[in-house]
Parts: sequence; structure tokens; C-alpha cells
Amino acid sequence: MSCITCNSTTTPTMKDFQSKNIFTWCTNCGNYGIHTAIRRALVSKKISACNTLTCFDIGCNGNGSDKIGGYNFHGLHGRSIPLAVGAEMANRKITVIAFGGDGGTLGEGIGHLVHAVRGNYNITFVLHNNLNYGLTKGQASVTTKKNMKMNSSPDGTNSELLHPARFVLSLESTFVARSFSGDVKHMSKVFEQALDHKGFSFVEILQSCPTYNKETPHEWYMDRVYDVETIDGYDNSNRELALKTAQDQEERIAIGVLYQDKKSVPQIDRQLNRNGAMGTKIETEPYEETRQYDISKLLEKFR
Amino acid sequence: MNFKNRFVVKVVGESGQGVNSIGEVLAKALKDNGLFIFGYREYPSLIKGGDASYQIDINNQEIKSSSAQCDVLMCLVRSSFKKYLTSVRKNGSIIHSVVKLTLTPEEEFFVKENKINIEFIPAKDIAIELGGKRIMSNTIMLGAIWQIFGLEIRKMEDNIKEIFSKKPDVIEINLKCLNAGFNYDLSKLQRPKLEIRQTENFKDDLLMSGNHAISLGAIAAGVRVFYAYPMTPSSSILSYLSSVYHETGMIVKQIEDEISVANMAIGSMHMGARTMIATSGGGFDLMTEAVSLTGITETPFVCVIAQRPGPGTGLPTWTSASDLNLAIYSGHGEYTKCVIAAHDIASCYTVTQQAFNIAEKYQIPVIILTEKQIAESIFQVDKMPQDIPIERHILEGEELKNITSLDRYKNTESGVSPRWLPGSCDAVFDANSDEHLSDGSLTEDAFPAKEIYQKRIRKEEYLLKDLPEPEVFGSQDPDISFVGWGSVKNTMLDVMDILNERGKKKIAYLHYEYVYPLKIGVFQNFAKNAKKLVLIENNATGQLGNLITSKTGVLFKNRLMKFDGRPFFLEDIIEYIESEE
Repeated sequence: MSCITCNSTTTPTMKDFQSKNIFTWCTNCGNYGIHTAIRRALVSKKISACNTLTCFDIGCNGNGSDKIGGYNFHGLHGRSIPLAVGAEMANRKITVIAFGGDGGTLGEGIGHLVHAVRGNYNITFVLHNNLNYGLTKGQASVTTKKNMKMNSSPDGTNSELLHPARFVLSLESTFVARSFSGDVKHMSKVFEQALDHKGFSFVEILQSCPTYNKETPHEWYMDRVYDVETIDGYDNSNRELALKTAQDQEERIAIGVLYQDKKSVPQIDRQLNRNGAMGTKIETEPYEETRQYDISKLLEKFR
Repeated sequence: MNFKNRFVVKVVGESGQGVNSIGEVLAKALKDNGLFIFGYREYPSLIKGGDASYQIDINNQEIKSSSAQCDVLMCLVRSSFKKYLTSVRKNGSIIHSVVKLTLTPEEEFFVKENKINIEFIPAKDIAIELGGKRIMSNTIMLGAIWQIFGLEIRKMEDNIKEIFSKKPDVIEINLKCLNAGFNYDLSKLQRPKLEIRQTENFKDDLLMSGNHAISLGAIAAGVRVFYAYPMTPSSSILSYLSSVYHETGMIVKQIEDEISVANMAIGSMHMGARTMIATSGGGFDLMTEAVSLTGITETPFVCVIAQRPGPGTGLPTWTSASDLNLAIYSGHGEYTKCVIAAHDIASCYTVTQQAFNIAEKYQIPVIILTEKQIAESIFQVDKMPQDIPIERHILEGEELKNITSLDRYKNTESGVSPRWLPGSCDAVFDANSDEHLSDGSLTEDAFPAKEIYQKRIRKEEYLLKDLPEPEVFGSQDPDISFVGWGSVKNTMLDVMDILNERGKKKIAYLHYEYVYPLKIGVFQNFAKNAKKLVLIENNATGQLGNLITSKTGVLFKNRLMKFDGRPFFLEDIIEYIESEE
């Protein structure tokens, strides 16, 4: 894609998405792989850094906001989705990706996730699911396994856990995928498909947390994951099948694009006052439409 | 209290009975006949039942406030009769359609004592006799009230035809009903002496609410995105903007909650689309973390707070000016913000446009305060004020040539750094809610953290220089000097007109429209020359007064506060002034 301001068509490289800032994550943190995979996917899709906006949650993933090239917005805890959605509404020429942890997304900000799915806003959302609150030192999150002893729950958590992929599949989602942070190549492939999807792309990354989640390191996932593409005749347009396939998070864990609605219509194309369905089609983006508007015609109704 | 040239009609009934429709038709007809009106609505927070009222104050010149009492009460239901009886002036009249109305001894006493004339119109029976439906009794009552004004029926007929233009089959019967009411014998009732304007263009006058003016101001200012979660009394901005979005092409979207609304607005503004949001105090409470985010990321942000009384759910459909502190002190941490309080149509229209220029020039949050009294009352104006030229201060094209990432939050004298939009070439940056260096990269080091913190706060000095001083109205040598903000001004200026004619006390009023950061020069002079300084606010604690005191040391010993959900009526201020020694 060419740059929207200078129209340059230089092919983006991995270097464009690098940052001068030094990573501050723990050794073996799943975030390294996720960042690399996102960069690879953007480069592979030929999306330039200046046409990218990444929106970050507060948490370990959010500390990566200044460690990736392109435009970034490090927002509030649990609110990266509405921030990204707002950006997308204003300018859909920019590729908008939002990141969130299991704490922010499924705890504090779960409402945003639900409504972003309903609205089918055209963004890619990456859930960093490391099964705990890392940055505040290992408290239980919504996805922490039951009875797991955590900081602040010394006798183990006693609430039922939430299953992210099944939760999102249970809504009228249009794209649900899963991958794991130990496989950069797989993640890149999934991200590419998520970027291609027109609508809200939900990608759950099963992420290792070497410091606070010793139970499920990369090796644990490695032994269990398999791509749905390896299932003979897997039809990822079948929501019921996807729900069933996503169920197991313990023994054999399905990854890849679990579900996709290929006929998905993103939110911005549902705006009947702009999409030409009921009059003139507006070709510009809201960000370039600000000018003095004459209200005299509208005043007639007040006379 | 009687006021020269002012005549007041109040329509009361059950919420959902059509009180509002009668009020609107009447207001428009009076305007079209060369009169000035101000429409004030009271209604409960429910859809059907409970008492609602639509009061129209009528004058021969522009007015922007209400009297506490009316000359004619038009009553559609028994419960409203009881509730609003005491709002009728001495020698006033009541027209009602309540079948078999019997008065309690107290009501009887009040009516006699105040020599109130009561006339019953069997409106429902007449409507059915004429072959209409019960609901058409409203049209009969409308005809009856029109009779009192002594104006031509033809003009009201034109309005009826217009209203029902989409249902032509009911026009004829409604006209019959209108005439039946108009010809009903009400000769015993008092008639107003109305002075009709002799100018030609009064039909072009506009009738609109403050929320309409804010919406139109936003459209004029190039706002292209509006998000909101419904909350009285801000909701009619959402409904108006969506009602015209085919004409404007604006993205108007109802969102799931105020937290999303605020964060989405930040996302859209960050990308460069002028975005407005509107709510009331409770909704704004939910937004305050996002307001703080705009502080550190220096994202322009404009939010309207249409105030109503709190705390909690408070009085959801009533008025108040008690969220000034909320606006000024919203969001954790310290950063520059601007709070503007609108008061009438011109003000709502203009400050909405100014708010965007200020927000974009200084890259700060701007909060526009209105009150239910402003947001939902009906004002009459002859025209809209001049548009404010759009100023965006966004670098583009050649201006971006030598820009690097490190310029985005560059330390400058004014504290304002260059701003450009994502999508512009190469000079990418991080809008970081963590403390950061000039390209947005995270830092926890003392020196740069302090430097950028000061930079953001320093903007306030420059903003303060840019803002207009408060305006002073009335006497140069006043006996009483009032200081206030918001809808208070509307009542105060109407009071001054009335008192000028009576010629007793000399009054001055200092009005803050741009409230925060606070300009103090003009106020200090005003206070120095005041024989008696009085703070007047639609809240209990004197929020503006306390702010002024904190900045100037001037104490307000005299305070006229109102916090019962009602606006200041003319009588509230006149009685205060006339009771003074």
C-alpha cells in the first residue's frame, strides 16, 4: 500500500518496524515472539510503518508500545479496543491493530470486546493470554486455571475461568483465531489472515509467562497444539464446529483460524448515511472532511 | 409579581398526554405572529404518567428566562391541577378539560384569595361530537388558548396544516376541533395586551434549544464524528445529529457506555477527525480516566456536559449548575484543560466552535458545560451568530518536511509541540500514557519526566492569555454587583430589563463564559468597585465563587444559591434585590 501523504511505494521491511528502545520483558517472555510475528505479518502484507497504528493496553504487552515501529498509542488499562475502534472510524486507510492482556481485556474491559464484536469494526485485536496479571506481579486473571495459587489468592482462585475463544465464538463474531507465542511462523500466518479480514479479527495468543505461570511454558503448549488445517475437511465457516473444536484447552489445543465469516461487512460499510445505500456515497475519510459547513439549510426546520 | 409586557401561559398535564406538542405548536404560532417567546419544560423521569408542563413566557422583545408564575394555566388532568394551581398569578385564569372537577377546601381558598377565573371546556365530548378522537381534545384546547391572545385563527390553522401534512386525512377534523376551541365562550377570562413587533422578518426567527445550537455549532465547526451514550439532558444532541446525518454525512453513533465513548473519541481525534461527545455528570464521571489520558498524550478532546442535579441519579430531568468542580478537577494528575460554560443559543453555537479550535491549538481537553435549562429550553433568536474560522494547527505537506519523531512532544516555550496525524510520512511517534520522552518513548528518569510535565502545565499560561475576560453588564455604578455563570445570565439580563423600567436599584452582573483557567483582571476591578458583591449560582456550595476566592482572595459573603432542580426564575432574583436594604 502506498503512503497516504507522500504516495511513496517503497516496500516495507522488518527494519521499518524496529524501534531504538530496548525491550524490558523477562527472558523467554511470549511478547518477543508476538512482536516479531506482527512485524513479519505487516511486512508480508506490504503495510508501511507510517500507515500503521498499534494501540496498546496497560500491562506487560503495553510496555511494548514504544518497542515497535509505526504509529503507536498506549492507552488505558482495558481500553485499547475502543481507542483502536475510534481510530479506525476516523481513517480506514490506516491499518489499526489493538493489543490487550487477559486482565485488561476480559476483566476491566470485557464490555468493549463484546461490543467491538457486535459492531464488527475493521481492526485486528490480539489477546495476549498468559493466564495472569504479570505486570502487577502475578495475580489471578479471568483465564487463570481454577484452584491455581496466585499472588492475592494464596488458597487458589475459586471463580470459574472464562474461555476466550469460545466466548468470542458465542457472539456473532466474524473472525476468531488462535495461536501460541512459541511459534512465530504460525502466529505470522494467522496475523496475516487477520489483517486481510474485513471486520473485527479476534486472535488469541496462548502466551507463556516464564515468571508467574510456570505451569504452561512454551514446551507445554508445544506438546498440545495442532492447527485446524490438519483436520481433514475442517470447515471454518461452521461456528458450531469451531465452538466444539476450540473447547479443549488442556489436552489437544486447536490453533489456526477457527472461524471466519467471509461475507463479513465491517462497521464503516454499514453506515447508511455514508456508504451510498441511501444517497451520495462519501469517498473521503472523516479525518479529511473537516472544513466550515454551511448550516443555513438545516436552519429551515427551526423557522 | 407582574412584569410589563410579559404574559405567561403554562400547559400542564400528564407526561405522555401531548403537553409538549401543544407547547411547541403554540410557541411557533406566537413566534410567527411577531412575538418573542421563551419555552421552559418541566417533566418527570418516566414515559407515561406524572405531571409535565410547558411554560411559554411571551414578550415584545427577546427574553431568555421564565417567571415563576403564569397568567393562564391550561390544565389537562386533575393531578396537574393540584400541582400547578399555586403557580397561577393573582387575577390569573385557568382553562381546563377535567370532567367533574371539584376543588378541595384549600384549593377553593387559594382560588378565591387570588381571584382566579376557572373555565371548563368539555374538550373530549366536543372532539367526539365533531367526529374526532379523544386525543383531538388537545387541538380544541389549543384553539381555546389561541382565543385568549386575540390573534387571527387563520395563522394557527396554517400551523395545524403543516403539522399534519403527512397525515392529510386528519387535517380537516383537527381544523374543526381548533375552531371549536377558538369559538368556545371564554369571554370572562383576562386578555393580555400584546405588543406585536412591526418588523417584517419575524417569521424567519428561529426556535431552538441549546442542544440544537451545540449540534449546529459542531456541524459548522467540521465535526465529522459524534459518539454518545444517552443521558438526560444531553440526549437530544444525539437525536438531532442523527436526524440530520443523511444531510451532513457525519458519523453519529450510539455507543455501549461512556468509557467507550470517551476512548473512541480519543482514537478518532488522534487520527484527525473532529469528534464531539456529550453526556451529563454521571456519564462524565465514567469518562474522567480518559480525560486524564488526553492530558498526557496531548490529544485534543471536546466533551459537552449538560448538567442536572446529582449526586447519584439526583433529579434526572431537572436543572443544575453543580458540575463545575467535576469538569475542572476531572481526571487524575495535573495537566492543562479548558472549561467553557454556555448559556444561550449564540453562546452554545459559538463556544462549540471555539472549543475545537482551543482543543486543537493547545492539544488539551475542552469541556463545554450547559444545564438542562439551556440544553432543553426553547429560545427564540433572529439569526445565528457569525461562524468562527476553523483553526487546526496540524502540520501537513511541506510543513512536515523537516519533522522528526522527536518533535512530537518537543519542549517549547508555550508548551505546545508540533502535531501531525498518523499516516503522515516517517516521523512516527508513540502517544504514550506512560510518562515519555519527546517521541513518546517511555521514561521513568527524573529530569525528562519533570521537563515534559512542566511543558504540559505551561500551556495553561498561554491559554489563559488567549481566553476572553468575563463580561460585565448593567450599571457602571451599581448598588448590587452580581457574579455568576451559565443560565444565571439569561435570568439576570431579563431582570435588569425589568428593573431598569422600575428604576429602583442599580444592578451590575459579571458573567464568566470561559471559566477555566480563570481570568481575574476584570473581576478584580469589578469587585473593588462593588458596594455589595453577590455570588449567584445554580448550586449550593458556590463552585465558581470558591474558585475565584482561591485565585483572588476575594470572599463572597453574600450568596444567592438555588439547588432545588429549578432554574432561577425572575422572581427569585427580583425578590432578593428588592428585599435588600
